[in-house]
Amino acid sequence: MSESLAIETVDLRKRFDATDALRGLNLRVPQGSIFGFLGRNGAGKTTTIKILLGMTRPTAGQARVLGLPADDATASVTIRTRTGFVDENKNLYDYMTVEEIIRFTAAFYSGWRHDLEKRYLRSFALPLHQKTNALSLGMRSKLSLLLALCRGVELLVLDEPTSGLDPAASEEVLQAIVTHVSTEQLTVFFSTHHLADVDQIAEHIAIIDAGRTIVSGALDDLRGQYRRVQLVFNGEAPDITFHAPGVIRVRRQGRVLTALSNAGGDALIEEAMRFGPVSADVLPVTLKEIFLESVAVED
Amino acid sequence: MLWHKAWLETRGRFFAGLALSLIVGFGVIYDFRATERLLPLVRSMDPAALDTTGPIGGAIKEAIAAQQTFRGFVWWQWYRQNLTYLVVIFGALLGAGGLLAKSGGATLFTLSLPVSRHRLIGTRAAIGLAELLAIAVVPSLVLPLLAPSIGQSYSVIDVVVHGACMFIVGSVFFSLAALLSNDYADMWRPVLIACIVAAVLGMLEYIPAIAPFGIFHTMNGETYYRQAGLPWIGLLVSAGISAALLRTAAVNLAHRDF
Repeated sequence: MSESLAIETVDLRKRFDATDALRGLNLRVPQGSIFGFLGRNGAGKTTTIKILLGMTRPTAGQARVLGLPADDATASVTIRTRTGFVDENKNLYDYMTVEEIIRFTAAFYSGWRHDLEKRYLRSFALPLHQKTNALSLGMRSKLSLLLALCRGVELLVLDEPTSGLDPAASEEVLQAIVTHVSTEQLTVFFSTHHLADVDQIAEHIAIIDAGRTIVSGALDDLRGQYRRVQLVFNGEAPDITFHAPGVIRVRRQGRVLTALSNAGGDALIEEAMRFGPVSADVLPVTLKEIFLESVAVED
Repeated sequence: MLWHKAWLETRGRFFAGLALSLIVGFGVIYDFRATERLLPLVRSMDPAALDTTGPIGGAIKEAIAAQQTFRGFVWWQWYRQNLTYLVVIFGALLGAGGLLAKSGGATLFTLSLPVSRHRLIGTRAAIGLAELLAIAVVPSLVLPLLAPSIGQSYSVIDVVVHGACMFIVGSVFFSLAALLSNDYADMWRPVLIACIVAAVLGMLEYIPAIAPFGIFHTMNGETYYRQAGLPWIGLLVSAGISAALLRTAAVNLAHRDF
Protein backbone atom coordinates (compact mmCIF):
# COMPACT_ATOMS: atom_id res chain seq x y z
CA MET A 1 0.00 0.00 0.00
CA SER A 2 1.52 3.29 -1.05
CA GLU A 3 1.78 6.30 1.23
CA SER A 4 0.98 8.62 -1.67
CA LEU A 5 -2.47 7.17 -2.13
CA ALA A 6 -5.42 8.75 -0.36
CA ILE A 7 -7.59 5.70 -1.04
CA GLU A 8 -6.60 2.21 -2.07
CA THR A 9 -8.78 -0.86 -2.38
CA VAL A 10 -7.54 -4.30 -3.27
CA ASP A 11 -9.94 -7.01 -4.42
CA LEU A 12 -12.69 -5.42 -2.34
CA ARG A 13 -15.83 -7.52 -2.09
CA LYS A 14 -19.20 -7.00 -0.49
CA ARG A 15 -22.09 -9.41 -0.49
CA PHE A 16 -25.60 -8.51 0.69
CA ASP A 17 -27.63 -11.69 1.14
CA ALA A 18 -27.65 -13.17 -2.37
CA THR A 19 -26.33 -10.06 -4.14
CA ASP A 20 -22.69 -9.27 -4.83
CA ALA A 21 -22.49 -5.48 -4.60
CA LEU A 22 -18.70 -5.44 -5.04
CA ARG A 23 -16.83 -8.19 -6.86
CA GLY A 24 -13.14 -7.48 -6.44
CA LEU A 25 -12.92 -3.71 -6.72
CA ASN A 26 -9.45 -2.23 -7.16
CA LEU A 27 -8.98 1.50 -6.74
CA ARG A 28 -5.95 3.75 -6.45
CA VAL A 29 -6.76 7.37 -5.66
CA PRO A 30 -3.63 9.58 -5.66
CA GLN A 31 -3.31 12.12 -2.87
CA GLY A 32 -4.15 15.64 -3.93
CA SER A 33 -6.21 14.58 -6.93
CA ILE A 34 -9.80 15.18 -7.91
CA PHE A 35 -11.01 11.66 -8.56
CA GLY A 36 -14.25 10.93 -10.40
CA PHE A 37 -15.83 7.62 -9.46
CA LEU A 38 -18.17 6.70 -12.29
CA GLY A 39 -20.73 3.99 -12.68
CA ARG A 40 -24.32 3.28 -13.50
CA ASN A 41 -26.98 3.21 -10.80
CA GLY A 42 -26.37 0.10 -8.71
CA ALA A 43 -22.78 -0.31 -9.91
CA GLY A 44 -21.48 -0.28 -6.34
CA LYS A 45 -20.41 3.35 -5.91
CA THR A 46 -22.30 4.07 -2.70
CA THR A 47 -21.39 0.69 -1.22
CA THR A 48 -17.71 1.48 -1.85
CA ILE A 49 -18.03 4.88 -0.17
CA LYS A 50 -19.81 3.34 2.82
CA ILE A 51 -16.98 0.83 3.22
CA LEU A 52 -14.37 3.58 2.99
CA LEU A 53 -16.10 5.50 5.80
CA GLY A 54 -16.74 2.50 8.05
CA MET A 55 -20.50 2.51 7.56
CA THR A 56 -20.46 -0.94 5.98
CA ARG A 57 -17.95 -3.73 6.44
CA PRO A 58 -16.40 -5.50 3.45
CA THR A 59 -16.96 -9.22 2.99
CA ALA A 60 -13.38 -9.65 1.69
CA GLY A 61 -10.46 -7.64 0.39
CA GLN A 62 -8.79 -4.53 1.72
CA ALA A 63 -9.66 -0.86 1.81
CA ARG A 64 -7.26 1.75 3.13
CA VAL A 65 -8.07 5.41 3.51
CA LEU A 66 -5.25 7.87 4.25
CA GLY A 67 -3.12 4.83 4.99
CA LEU A 68 -5.52 3.41 7.59
CA PRO A 69 -7.62 0.24 7.37
CA ALA A 70 -11.23 1.25 6.76
CA ASP A 71 -12.68 -1.88 8.38
CA ASP A 72 -11.02 -1.27 11.75
CA ALA A 73 -13.45 0.52 14.10
CA THR A 74 -10.78 2.61 15.85
CA ALA A 75 -8.97 3.54 12.63
CA SER A 76 -12.31 4.40 11.06
CA VAL A 77 -12.89 7.11 13.67
CA THR A 78 -9.48 8.60 12.76
CA ILE A 79 -10.34 8.36 9.06
CA ARG A 80 -13.58 10.25 9.69
CA THR A 81 -11.70 12.89 11.67
CA ARG A 82 -9.66 13.53 8.52
CA THR A 83 -12.49 13.17 6.00
CA GLY A 84 -15.47 15.27 4.95
CA PHE A 85 -18.52 13.54 3.52
CA VAL A 86 -21.60 14.58 1.58
CA ASP A 87 -24.19 11.88 1.15
CA GLU A 88 -26.26 11.37 -1.96
CA ASN A 89 -29.55 12.52 -0.43
CA LYS A 90 -28.09 15.43 1.55
CA ASN A 91 -30.18 14.44 4.54
CA LEU A 92 -29.45 16.47 7.66
CA TYR A 93 -31.12 16.67 11.07
CA ASP A 94 -34.49 18.18 10.24
CA TYR A 95 -35.00 19.52 13.76
CA MET A 96 -31.91 21.71 13.62
CA THR A 97 -31.52 25.13 12.05
CA VAL A 98 -28.67 25.89 9.65
CA GLU A 99 -26.78 27.60 12.46
CA GLU A 100 -27.36 24.73 14.91
CA ILE A 101 -26.12 22.04 12.54
CA ILE A 102 -23.02 24.10 11.72
CA ARG A 103 -22.24 24.51 15.44
CA PHE A 104 -23.02 20.82 16.04
CA THR A 105 -20.68 19.63 13.27
CA ALA A 106 -17.93 22.12 14.11
CA ALA A 107 -17.73 20.70 17.64
CA PHE A 108 -16.29 17.42 16.31
CA TYR A 109 -13.41 19.00 14.37
CA SER A 110 -10.57 20.78 16.11
CA GLY A 111 -9.44 22.20 12.78
CA TRP A 112 -12.84 23.62 11.87
CA ARG A 113 -12.34 26.46 9.40
CA HIS A 114 -14.33 29.41 10.70
CA ASP A 115 -12.95 31.57 7.89
CA LEU A 116 -14.34 29.18 5.28
CA GLU A 117 -17.60 28.91 7.21
CA LYS A 118 -18.11 32.67 6.94
CA ARG A 119 -17.10 32.68 3.28
CA TYR A 120 -19.44 29.84 2.25
CA LEU A 121 -22.32 31.12 4.35
CA ARG A 122 -22.05 34.37 2.44
CA SER A 123 -21.48 32.91 -1.02
CA PHE A 124 -24.16 30.21 -0.64
CA ALA A 125 -26.59 32.72 0.96
CA LEU A 126 -27.69 30.15 3.56
CA PRO A 127 -30.41 31.33 5.98
CA LEU A 128 -28.92 30.74 9.44
CA HIS A 129 -32.18 30.54 11.37
CA GLN A 130 -34.10 28.30 9.00
CA LYS A 131 -34.68 24.63 9.84
CA THR A 132 -32.84 22.30 7.47
CA ASN A 133 -36.09 20.60 6.46
CA ALA A 134 -37.35 23.93 5.13
CA LEU A 135 -34.42 24.25 2.73
CA SER A 136 -34.66 23.35 -0.94
CA LEU A 137 -32.54 20.45 -2.21
CA GLY A 138 -30.15 22.96 -3.75
CA MET A 139 -29.72 24.80 -0.45
CA ARG A 140 -29.34 21.52 1.45
CA SER A 141 -26.64 20.47 -1.02
CA LYS A 142 -24.79 23.71 -0.40
CA LEU A 143 -25.17 23.35 3.36
CA SER A 144 -23.92 19.74 3.18
CA LEU A 145 -20.96 20.92 1.17
CA LEU A 146 -20.22 23.70 3.67
CA LEU A 147 -20.33 21.15 6.50
CA ALA A 148 -17.83 18.98 4.62
CA LEU A 149 -15.51 21.73 3.37
CA CYS A 150 -15.15 23.53 6.69
CA ARG A 151 -13.96 20.43 8.58
CA GLY A 152 -10.39 21.27 7.61
CA VAL A 153 -9.81 17.72 6.38
CA GLU A 154 -7.43 16.02 3.96
CA LEU A 155 -10.04 14.07 2.03
CA LEU A 156 -13.48 14.93 0.72
CA VAL A 157 -15.78 12.05 -0.15
CA LEU A 158 -18.79 13.23 -2.11
CA ASP A 159 -21.51 10.79 -3.12
CA GLU A 160 -23.37 12.21 -6.11
CA PRO A 161 -22.81 15.85 -5.04
CA THR A 162 -24.93 17.28 -7.86
CA SER A 163 -27.66 14.65 -7.82
CA GLY A 164 -31.12 16.20 -8.17
CA LEU A 165 -29.80 19.72 -8.71
CA ASP A 166 -30.76 22.01 -11.56
CA PRO A 167 -27.91 23.01 -13.90
CA ALA A 168 -27.34 26.37 -12.17
CA ALA A 169 -27.14 24.86 -8.67
CA SER A 170 -25.03 22.01 -9.98
CA GLU A 171 -22.57 24.47 -11.53
CA GLU A 172 -22.41 26.43 -8.27
CA VAL A 173 -21.60 23.28 -6.28
CA LEU A 174 -18.91 22.17 -8.74
CA GLN A 175 -17.34 25.61 -8.81
CA ALA A 176 -17.22 25.66 -5.02
CA ILE A 177 -15.39 22.32 -5.03
CA VAL A 178 -12.88 23.45 -7.67
CA THR A 179 -12.26 26.77 -5.92
CA HIS A 180 -11.81 25.00 -2.61
CA VAL A 181 -9.33 22.50 -4.03
CA SER A 182 -7.34 25.28 -5.71
CA THR A 183 -6.68 26.91 -2.33
CA GLU A 184 -6.57 23.92 0.02
CA GLN A 185 -4.38 20.82 -0.02
CA LEU A 186 -6.80 17.93 -0.21
CA THR A 187 -8.05 14.97 -2.20
CA VAL A 188 -11.56 14.91 -3.60
CA PHE A 189 -13.19 11.56 -4.30
CA PHE A 190 -16.60 11.98 -5.82
CA SER A 191 -19.03 9.49 -7.22
CA THR A 192 -21.42 10.40 -9.97
CA HIS A 193 -23.18 9.20 -13.04
CA HIS A 194 -23.12 12.71 -14.49
CA LEU A 195 -20.26 12.50 -16.97
CA ALA A 196 -20.26 16.25 -17.53
CA ASP A 197 -19.33 16.79 -13.87
CA VAL A 198 -16.35 14.50 -14.22
CA ASP A 199 -15.30 16.04 -17.51
CA GLN A 200 -15.44 19.44 -15.86
CA ILE A 201 -13.42 18.87 -12.70
CA ALA A 202 -11.83 15.40 -12.46
CA GLU A 203 -8.16 14.65 -13.03
CA HIS A 204 -8.39 10.92 -12.46
CA ILE A 205 -11.31 8.57 -12.94
CA ALA A 206 -12.41 5.04 -12.33
CA ILE A 207 -15.39 3.52 -14.08
CA ILE A 208 -16.97 0.65 -12.24
CA ASP A 209 -19.67 -1.71 -13.31
CA ALA A 210 -21.30 -4.59 -11.47
CA GLY A 211 -18.91 -4.11 -8.55
CA ARG A 212 -15.66 -4.17 -10.55
CA THR A 213 -13.30 -1.53 -11.87
CA ILE A 214 -13.37 -1.61 -15.64
CA VAL A 215 -11.45 1.56 -16.49
CA SER A 216 -9.09 3.54 -14.31
CA GLY A 217 -6.47 6.21 -14.76
CA ALA A 218 -5.68 9.86 -15.34
CA LEU A 219 -8.40 11.39 -17.48
CA ASP A 220 -5.93 12.99 -19.91
CA ASP A 221 -4.10 9.66 -20.35
CA LEU A 222 -7.37 7.88 -21.02
CA ARG A 223 -8.38 10.48 -23.55
CA GLY A 224 -4.99 9.93 -25.23
CA GLN A 225 -5.29 6.15 -25.20
CA TYR A 226 -8.84 5.82 -26.46
CA ARG A 227 -9.24 6.22 -30.19
CA ARG A 228 -12.04 5.45 -32.59
CA VAL A 229 -10.98 4.33 -36.06
CA GLN A 230 -13.59 4.80 -38.75
CA LEU A 231 -13.13 2.94 -42.04
CA VAL A 232 -15.29 3.43 -45.13
CA PHE A 233 -15.30 0.76 -47.85
CA ASN A 234 -16.56 0.78 -51.42
CA GLY A 235 -19.00 -1.99 -50.76
CA GLU A 236 -20.27 -3.74 -47.63
CA ALA A 237 -17.69 -3.41 -44.81
CA PRO A 238 -15.81 -6.73 -44.33
CA ASP A 239 -16.11 -8.76 -41.13
CA ILE A 240 -12.65 -8.16 -39.70
CA THR A 241 -11.09 -9.61 -36.58
CA PHE A 242 -8.40 -7.16 -35.50
CA HIS A 243 -5.22 -8.38 -33.84
CA ALA A 244 -3.93 -4.94 -32.88
CA PRO A 245 -3.68 -4.49 -29.08
CA GLY A 246 -6.43 -2.69 -27.19
CA VAL A 247 -9.35 -3.23 -29.58
CA ILE A 248 -12.40 -3.34 -27.38
CA ARG A 249 -15.27 -3.12 -29.88
CA VAL A 250 -15.87 -3.37 -33.61
CA ARG A 251 -19.10 -2.31 -35.28
CA ARG A 252 -20.18 -2.75 -38.92
CA GLN A 253 -22.95 -0.74 -40.51
CA GLY A 254 -23.25 -0.86 -44.29
CA ARG A 255 -20.04 0.52 -45.81
CA VAL A 256 -18.73 1.81 -42.48
CA LEU A 257 -16.68 -0.13 -39.95
CA THR A 258 -15.86 1.46 -36.62
CA ALA A 259 -13.34 0.10 -34.15
CA LEU A 260 -12.62 1.39 -30.66
CA SER A 261 -9.21 0.98 -29.12
CA ASN A 262 -7.84 1.84 -25.72
CA ALA A 263 -4.22 1.62 -26.94
CA GLY A 264 -4.17 4.48 -29.40
CA GLY A 265 -5.14 4.25 -33.07
CA ASP A 266 -1.81 3.74 -34.85
CA ALA A 267 -1.53 -0.06 -34.75
CA LEU A 268 -5.21 -0.43 -35.48
CA ILE A 269 -5.17 1.80 -38.56
CA GLU A 270 -2.03 0.09 -39.85
CA GLU A 271 -3.80 -3.25 -39.66
CA ALA A 272 -7.00 -1.82 -41.13
CA MET A 273 -5.27 -0.40 -44.21
CA ARG A 274 -4.55 -3.97 -45.37
CA PHE A 275 -8.29 -4.42 -46.03
CA GLY A 276 -8.35 -1.53 -48.53
CA PRO A 277 -10.77 1.01 -47.13
CA VAL A 278 -11.48 4.07 -49.29
CA SER A 279 -11.03 6.27 -46.25
CA ALA A 280 -9.68 5.83 -42.75
CA ASP A 281 -9.97 8.33 -39.92
CA VAL A 282 -8.72 8.30 -36.34
CA LEU A 283 -11.14 10.17 -34.10
CA PRO A 284 -10.78 11.26 -30.47
CA VAL A 285 -13.16 9.69 -27.97
CA THR A 286 -15.19 11.58 -25.40
CA LEU A 287 -15.52 10.50 -21.79
CA LYS A 288 -19.15 9.67 -22.48
CA GLU A 289 -18.09 7.29 -25.23
CA ILE A 290 -15.43 5.71 -23.04
CA PHE A 291 -18.03 5.19 -20.34
CA LEU A 292 -20.73 3.84 -22.61
CA GLU A 293 -18.39 1.54 -24.51
CA SER A 294 -16.76 0.22 -21.35
CA VAL A 295 -20.09 -0.49 -19.72
CA ALA A 296 -21.45 -2.02 -22.94
CA VAL A 297 -18.45 -4.38 -23.14
CA GLU A 298 -19.24 -5.55 -19.61
CA ASP A 299 -22.84 -6.29 -20.62
CA MET B 1 -22.64 17.94 21.20
CA LEU B 2 -23.92 14.39 20.94
CA TRP B 3 -25.62 15.04 24.29
CA HIS B 4 -27.33 18.06 22.82
CA LYS B 5 -28.43 16.08 19.76
CA ALA B 6 -29.83 13.27 21.93
CA TRP B 7 -31.65 15.83 24.06
CA LEU B 8 -33.15 17.57 21.02
CA GLU B 9 -34.33 14.21 19.68
CA THR B 10 -36.00 13.05 22.88
CA ARG B 11 -37.12 16.19 24.68
CA GLY B 12 -40.61 16.14 23.14
CA ARG B 13 -41.27 12.64 24.50
CA PHE B 14 -39.64 13.55 27.81
CA PHE B 15 -41.72 16.66 28.39
CA ALA B 16 -44.90 14.82 27.36
CA GLY B 17 -44.12 12.06 29.89
CA LEU B 18 -43.22 14.52 32.62
CA ALA B 19 -46.31 16.67 32.06
CA LEU B 20 -48.67 13.69 31.95
CA SER B 21 -47.12 12.18 35.09
CA LEU B 22 -47.40 15.49 36.96
CA ILE B 23 -51.07 15.85 36.01
CA VAL B 24 -51.82 12.31 37.15
CA GLY B 25 -49.76 12.90 40.32
CA PHE B 26 -51.84 15.99 41.19
CA GLY B 27 -54.96 13.97 40.48
CA VAL B 28 -53.92 11.24 42.92
CA ILE B 29 -53.50 13.72 45.77
CA TYR B 30 -56.85 15.38 45.37
CA ASP B 31 -58.56 12.06 44.63
CA PHE B 32 -57.67 10.98 48.16
CA ARG B 33 -60.19 13.45 49.52
CA ALA B 34 -63.02 11.71 47.70
CA THR B 35 -61.76 8.31 48.80
CA GLU B 36 -61.44 9.54 52.37
CA ARG B 37 -65.12 10.47 52.41
CA LEU B 38 -66.01 6.90 51.40
CA LEU B 39 -63.86 5.27 54.06
CA PRO B 40 -66.40 5.50 56.96
CA LEU B 41 -68.95 3.85 54.71
CA VAL B 42 -66.53 1.06 53.85
CA ARG B 43 -65.55 0.60 57.50
CA SER B 44 -69.21 0.31 58.50
CA MET B 45 -69.73 -2.62 56.16
CA ASP B 46 -69.96 -6.07 57.63
CA PRO B 47 -66.96 -7.96 56.22
CA ALA B 48 -68.90 -11.17 56.59
CA ALA B 49 -71.50 -9.83 54.18
CA LEU B 50 -68.83 -9.20 51.48
CA ASP B 51 -67.85 -11.95 49.11
CA THR B 52 -64.08 -11.61 49.11
CA THR B 53 -63.33 -15.01 47.67
CA GLY B 54 -61.78 -15.42 44.24
CA PRO B 55 -59.28 -13.10 42.51
CA ILE B 56 -61.67 -10.15 42.10
CA GLY B 57 -62.92 -10.34 45.66
CA GLY B 58 -59.35 -10.66 46.88
CA ALA B 59 -58.33 -7.61 44.91
CA ILE B 60 -61.24 -5.58 46.31
CA LYS B 61 -60.31 -6.63 49.82
CA GLU B 62 -56.66 -5.73 49.20
CA ALA B 63 -57.60 -2.37 47.71
CA ILE B 64 -59.82 -1.47 50.64
CA ALA B 65 -57.12 -2.53 53.10
CA ALA B 66 -54.39 -0.56 51.35
CA GLN B 67 -56.37 2.65 50.95
CA GLN B 68 -57.20 3.13 54.60
CA THR B 69 -54.18 5.47 54.88
CA PHE B 70 -52.76 8.17 52.61
CA ARG B 71 -49.49 6.22 52.24
CA GLY B 72 -51.45 3.11 51.28
CA PHE B 73 -53.66 5.07 48.91
CA VAL B 74 -50.62 6.58 47.19
CA TRP B 75 -48.95 3.20 46.85
CA TRP B 76 -52.09 1.54 45.49
CA GLN B 77 -53.16 4.27 43.11
CA TRP B 78 -49.86 5.89 42.12
CA TYR B 79 -47.02 3.42 42.38
CA ARG B 80 -48.95 0.21 41.84
CA GLN B 81 -50.96 1.53 38.90
CA ASN B 82 -50.62 4.96 37.31
CA LEU B 83 -46.89 5.60 37.57
CA THR B 84 -46.09 2.00 36.65
CA TYR B 85 -48.03 2.33 33.40
CA LEU B 86 -46.51 5.74 32.65
CA VAL B 87 -42.93 4.61 33.30
CA VAL B 88 -43.36 1.50 31.14
CA ILE B 89 -44.87 3.45 28.24
CA PHE B 90 -42.47 6.40 28.39
CA GLY B 91 -39.53 4.10 29.09
CA ALA B 92 -40.30 2.34 25.81
CA LEU B 93 -40.93 5.65 24.04
CA LEU B 94 -37.61 7.12 25.22
CA GLY B 95 -35.69 3.95 24.35
CA ALA B 96 -37.15 3.72 20.86
CA GLY B 97 -35.76 5.61 17.91
CA GLY B 98 -32.08 5.68 18.59
CA LEU B 99 -29.74 6.06 15.67
CA LEU B 100 -32.21 5.20 12.96
CA ALA B 101 -35.65 6.67 13.45
CA LYS B 102 -35.35 10.17 14.82
CA SER B 103 -32.36 11.07 12.68
CA GLY B 104 -34.65 10.67 9.69
CA GLY B 105 -32.53 10.02 6.64
CA ALA B 106 -29.55 11.67 8.30
CA THR B 107 -28.14 8.41 9.65
CA LEU B 108 -25.25 8.56 7.18
CA PHE B 109 -24.46 12.10 8.29
CA THR B 110 -24.28 10.88 11.89
CA LEU B 111 -22.11 7.92 10.91
CA SER B 112 -19.74 10.21 9.00
CA LEU B 113 -18.85 12.03 12.21
CA PRO B 114 -15.63 11.03 13.98
CA VAL B 115 -17.30 9.15 16.82
CA SER B 116 -17.58 5.44 17.51
CA ARG B 117 -20.94 3.71 17.36
CA HIS B 118 -20.54 2.72 21.01
CA ARG B 119 -20.29 6.41 21.89
CA LEU B 120 -23.33 7.20 19.78
CA ILE B 121 -25.56 4.65 21.46
CA GLY B 122 -23.98 5.27 24.88
CA THR B 123 -24.78 8.98 24.75
CA ARG B 124 -28.28 8.32 23.48
CA ALA B 125 -28.87 5.76 26.26
CA ALA B 126 -27.47 8.03 28.98
CA ILE B 127 -29.76 10.92 28.00
CA GLY B 128 -32.80 8.65 27.66
CA LEU B 129 -32.18 6.99 31.02
CA ALA B 130 -31.68 10.35 32.73
CA GLU B 131 -35.03 11.47 31.32
CA LEU B 132 -36.66 8.23 32.48
CA LEU B 133 -35.23 8.77 35.98
CA ALA B 134 -36.75 12.25 36.02
CA ILE B 135 -40.15 10.87 34.99
CA ALA B 136 -39.89 8.16 37.67
CA VAL B 137 -38.98 10.57 40.49
CA VAL B 138 -39.91 14.20 39.80
CA PRO B 139 -43.72 13.85 39.51
CA SER B 140 -43.79 11.95 42.82
CA LEU B 141 -42.22 14.95 44.55
CA VAL B 142 -45.61 16.65 44.39
CA LEU B 143 -46.72 14.11 47.03
CA PRO B 144 -44.60 15.43 49.95
CA LEU B 145 -45.00 18.99 48.65
CA LEU B 146 -48.79 19.04 48.32
CA ALA B 147 -49.91 16.43 50.82
CA PRO B 148 -50.08 19.07 53.64
CA SER B 149 -52.71 20.95 51.59
CA ILE B 150 -55.12 18.05 52.20
CA GLY B 151 -54.01 17.53 55.79
CA GLN B 152 -51.68 14.62 55.02
CA SER B 153 -47.95 14.03 54.83
CA TYR B 154 -45.74 11.91 52.65
CA SER B 155 -42.11 10.92 53.10
CA VAL B 156 -39.45 12.09 50.64
CA ILE B 157 -37.59 8.86 51.38
CA ASP B 158 -40.60 6.92 50.09
CA VAL B 159 -40.49 8.99 46.91
CA VAL B 160 -36.78 8.24 46.41
CA VAL B 161 -37.09 4.51 47.12
CA HIS B 162 -40.17 3.98 44.97
CA GLY B 163 -38.65 6.20 42.26
CA ALA B 164 -35.51 4.05 42.24
CA CYS B 165 -37.59 0.87 41.89
CA MET B 166 -39.64 2.44 39.10
CA PHE B 167 -36.54 3.63 37.26
CA ILE B 168 -34.53 0.42 37.50
CA VAL B 169 -37.37 -1.82 36.32
CA GLY B 170 -38.56 0.79 33.80
CA SER B 171 -35.07 0.76 32.28
CA VAL B 172 -35.71 -2.84 31.16
CA PHE B 173 -38.45 -1.59 28.81
CA PHE B 174 -36.24 1.32 27.75
CA SER B 175 -33.42 -1.07 26.87
CA LEU B 176 -35.75 -3.52 25.13
CA ALA B 177 -37.09 -0.71 22.91
CA ALA B 178 -33.51 0.47 22.24
CA LEU B 179 -32.51 -3.04 21.16
CA LEU B 180 -35.57 -3.41 18.94
CA SER B 181 -34.84 -0.02 17.37
CA ASN B 182 -31.77 -1.53 15.73
CA ASP B 183 -34.10 -3.62 13.59
CA TYR B 184 -37.01 -1.27 13.03
CA ALA B 185 -36.57 2.07 11.28
CA ASP B 186 -39.79 3.48 12.75
CA MET B 187 -40.16 4.07 16.49
CA TRP B 188 -43.67 2.68 16.91
CA ARG B 189 -43.02 -1.02 16.47
CA PRO B 190 -40.36 -1.15 19.22
CA VAL B 191 -42.74 0.74 21.55
CA LEU B 192 -45.64 -1.55 20.69
CA ILE B 193 -43.58 -4.72 21.17
CA ALA B 194 -42.16 -3.46 24.49
CA CYS B 195 -45.68 -2.64 25.72
CA ILE B 196 -46.97 -6.06 24.65
CA VAL B 197 -44.10 -7.70 26.55
CA ALA B 198 -45.03 -5.58 29.59
CA ALA B 199 -48.70 -6.58 29.29
CA VAL B 200 -47.83 -10.28 29.09
CA LEU B 201 -45.51 -10.01 32.11
CA GLY B 202 -48.26 -8.15 33.97
CA MET B 203 -50.82 -10.83 33.21
CA LEU B 204 -48.44 -13.54 34.38
CA GLU B 205 -48.41 -11.87 37.80
CA TYR B 206 -52.07 -12.82 38.22
CA ILE B 207 -50.78 -16.34 38.79
CA PRO B 208 -50.29 -16.43 42.59
CA ALA B 209 -47.15 -18.58 42.40
CA ILE B 210 -45.48 -16.11 40.04
CA ALA B 211 -46.70 -12.83 41.58
CA PRO B 212 -43.97 -12.47 44.28
CA PHE B 213 -41.27 -12.86 41.60
CA GLY B 214 -42.96 -10.64 39.04
CA ILE B 215 -41.21 -7.65 37.52
CA PHE B 216 -44.07 -5.31 38.48
CA HIS B 217 -43.95 -6.56 42.05
CA THR B 218 -40.40 -5.18 42.10
CA MET B 219 -41.34 -2.08 40.14
CA ASN B 220 -44.07 -0.90 42.53
CA GLY B 221 -41.86 -1.51 45.56
CA GLU B 222 -44.48 -3.61 47.37
CA THR B 223 -41.98 -5.20 49.74
CA TYR B 224 -40.75 -1.76 50.75
CA TYR B 225 -44.33 -0.52 51.19
CA ARG B 226 -45.13 -3.49 53.41
CA GLN B 227 -42.04 -2.68 55.52
CA ALA B 228 -40.24 -5.78 54.34
CA GLY B 229 -37.20 -4.01 52.94
CA LEU B 230 -36.06 -3.35 49.42
CA PRO B 231 -36.57 -5.92 46.64
CA TRP B 232 -32.83 -6.24 46.11
CA ILE B 233 -32.91 -9.40 44.05
CA GLY B 234 -35.59 -8.07 41.73
CA LEU B 235 -33.73 -4.78 41.34
CA LEU B 236 -30.41 -6.48 40.63
CA VAL B 237 -31.99 -8.85 38.12
CA SER B 238 -33.77 -5.95 36.40
CA ALA B 239 -30.59 -3.88 36.26
CA GLY B 240 -28.73 -6.89 34.88
CA ILE B 241 -31.36 -7.53 32.20
CA SER B 242 -31.40 -3.87 31.26
CA ALA B 243 -27.60 -3.71 31.01
CA ALA B 244 -27.52 -6.91 28.95
CA LEU B 245 -30.15 -5.59 26.54
CA LEU B 246 -28.29 -2.31 26.11
CA ARG B 247 -24.99 -4.12 25.63
CA THR B 248 -26.60 -6.33 22.96
CA ALA B 249 -28.04 -3.23 21.27
CA ALA B 250 -24.57 -1.62 21.22
CA VAL B 251 -22.88 -4.75 19.85
CA ASN B 252 -25.59 -5.18 17.18
CA LEU B 253 -25.20 -1.57 16.16
CA ALA B 254 -21.42 -1.82 16.02
CA HIS B 255 -21.63 -4.74 13.58
CA ARG B 256 -24.44 -3.40 11.48
CA ASP B 257 -24.10 -2.40 7.84
CA PHE B 258 -25.75 0.86 6.85
